[in-house]
Amino acid sequence: MQWWTLFQKELIENVRNVKWVWVPLVMILLAVMDPLTNYYLPQIIDAAGGMPDDTEIQLPEYQPADVVMMSLGQFSSMGVLVIALMSMGVISGERKSGVSELILVKPVSYLNYITAKWASLALLTLVAFSLGMLASWYYINLLFGALSFGALLQVLLFYGLWLLLIVSISIFYNTLVKTPGLVAFLTIATVMLMGLVTTIFSHILEWSPNRISTYIQQMLTTGSVPSDLTGAAIVTLMMIVFLIFGSVYTFRKKELAS
Amino acid sequence: MEEVSILSEINWAVIAPLLVIQGILLIVAAIDLIRIDRTNGPKWMWALIIVLINILGPIIYFIFGRRND
Repeated sequence: MQWWTLFQKELIENVRNVKWVWVPLVMILLAVMDPLTNYYLPQIIDAAGGMPDDTEIQLPEYQPADVVMMSLGQFSSMGVLVIALMSMGVISGERKSGVSELILVKPVSYLNYITAKWASLALLTLVAFSLGMLASWYYINLLFGALSFGALLQVLLFYGLWLLLIVSISIFYNTLVKTPGLVAFLTIATVMLMGLVTTIFSHILEWSPNRISTYIQQMLTTGSVPSDLTGAAIVTLMMIVFLIFGSVYTFRKKELAS
Repeated sequence: MEEVSILSEINWAVIAPLLVIQGILLIVAAIDLIRIDRTNGPKWMWALIIVLINILGPIIYFIFGRRND
């Protein structure tokens, strides 16, 4: 019951600081931007003065799966940035301003405090991401060709897991350092480092969370879930659970120390 | 006449949602700026940023302009 109260408090706070308005809108913009600019590329080129008459450029014909990957590509770069920036102050900011002390003076367990924060952020991220992909799906069906709703659900499920991992990383750094800007920087740096390590050791790390989007592309073209995707999903889930317990542990230690 | 043809080629049912999103962002940011007590930096600067910078202005305000305490 205590957890539920904390969770509701977080939801209300995120409504008050308008995160529930701007994060979904930004995610929709991110998801829709690339499909639209690619669809209108011929007109955009014409409007910008057009090609010289003798140039011949074949603009590729995009399949629905390619367009999904365009949206996901935006989420992997700008989406991660948005998540890191909107979640940078959730715990570290409260610790800096002393709000967390006001809460933790009462008999609130650290586990409830952290998981309520995590759950509210996770919910916001997933809803925003789903709305973005729904918008992208709408345009795909309108402009590029049919994509089944089942395929969209699979994309939401697996890529949502990757976004949850980013939320968990951010929460972990929130408990580790007190400066919000540093939290955002460390989160983005960690995600980039993970990507780097995954590319360098790509023959060993077949189940790395960073490869989820590659496997999603395979899934969309072949139509079946590759076994590596299931593996990567399991590894991601384990990392999320590990990070949550890790943040509870560091938070408890930091709070007792200060 | 060429500009007219480009404008009519673009399907407005496709572009309109984007304009609506941009409008909502701008209005919500403006209302929030009026109601908030203090921002990081002067308020008039954020008003200019929200109104003048397309799409990104309101987002920059939400991330960096709001004070949470």
